[in-house]
Amino acid sequence: MGETIRQKADRVGTFRFISVYLMETLAGWIPTTPELEAKVFFGRHVWDFAQHADWLGRRTGELRSPMQWSLPPADGYLKVLETMAGATGTMERMTGFHDGLLPDLEVRYRQYISGTDMLNDEPTVRILERIQFDFVRIRADRAAFAATRPDLTLTDAGWPARIAALASGEPDYVLSRAAARITVPAT
Amino acid sequence: MSSAVDRTKEVKGVVLVADPAREPCFTVVHHDDELQDWPDMSEVSRREKLHRHMNNETGAIEIAARCLVDFPEASWDLRMSLARQVADESRHATLLLRRLKELQGAKGDFPVANFEWGVTLMLDNLPGRLAIQNRTFEAGLIDILGTMRNRWREVGDHETADMLEGILADEVTHVRFANRWIKRITEEDPRNLLKVAKAVRYLGQVLERLSPKVGDTNAVGIAWSEERRLPPAVNVEDRRAAEFTEEEVAEVLRQAGFRSILPSTAPGN
Repeated sequence: MGETIRQKADRVGTFRFISVYLMETLAGWIPTTPELEAKVFFGRHVWDFAQHADWLGRRTGELRSPMQWSLPPADGYLKVLETMAGATGTMERMTGFHDGLLPDLEVRYRQYISGTDMLNDEPTVRILERIQFDFVRIRADRAAFAATRPDLTLTDAGWPARIAALASGEPDYVLSRAAARITVPAT
Repeated sequence: MSSAVDRTKEVKGVVLVADPAREPCFTVVHHDDELQDWPDMSEVSRREKLHRHMNNETGAIEIAARCLVDFPEASWDLRMSLARQVADESRHATLLLRRLKELQGAKGDFPVANFEWGVTLMLDNLPGRLAIQNRTFEAGLIDILGTMRNRWREVGDHETADMLEGILADEVTHVRFANRWIKRITEEDPRNLLKVAKAVRYLGQVLERLSPKVGDTNAVGIAWSEERRLPPAVNVEDRRAAEFTEEEVAEVLRQAGFRSILPSTAPGN
């Protein structure tokens, strides 16, 4: 049996939370990253993740939830995001984000598409396909950066692999509203 | 004035937010008299103009990015506009660096200052920041770009002029979204008008303290004359496109001594 409308909205709302978080992470890094080429690299992708959040937020409004509604992910996945965002070195930031976290997020989008009814849930599928289309260009940008600034290297060589491992270690990223209600203490 | 960030610096008695991160190749200075700026269009002057503009666009990226981080409660449509601005300014800085290199220049060839960042980030509210950064500094850039585009064309550099034309079109959209949003929020809540007014007054006080005076010289010995201290000619057509009111355009014209880049078509034609 497929997911209910509410479950789909929870998943899309979680994707939106993640997109907004990624947009804010890149934005927060810009003033504290010294290299001009890295600033503009992060800057261009701020708009990508804002658009992803916007598309997903329009969809939540179609799934009987508010427009532009976000649902924070499960604690474990949120900690992965926070760990990735806490990087201070330019290349740790870039590789943690682009090489560590994004491939895992792409897998989650593909899993959603493969697990849903492609016709019944077509609007969500189209949005996730458009996001994956952007991811191809973002990956190409990331690959090109190495040629732009070959002098920049990782101080912590294992960082991107650790972010990737942390992300893949949190398969359950959606904290559904039903589950969230159970965890709220009675007052 | 309460600062939105932790670190500050003092420039000639004025407290500003400390500089954003820059690579070691850049010499970061804090006042106009430390900048190199030639009034002519010699080769070194052209490179310096591109270099300074590149750093100003970098500052614009950083300011819009900080607004996204500092005001998560802002309306989503405004945050989208700010995110787009971050990407636009990133593209502008990239374009300017590319053109600088084509003219045999490089990052760090000239001193840079981060005045707009230092002033705007002192404001802890979004209406104030948009009033200063978008409605004042970026609107001023509309005027400067209108003039500079023509100057580059006059010296035969149509490639740079075309690039500036593209940047100018983007800047108009950045000023327009701020104008629209400020109009909306001040109509919704008149207290926002007070925030805007306080921000404009604060900027006026800072400029009064830090603007170069007649007779002051910059780092290459060029003196500030009355004429150089005048605001640039007003780009009336693009200010109208950015949705400044006729009264606001008239006021800016008055401040500029009624020097304008004449519109290509009269309004209504």
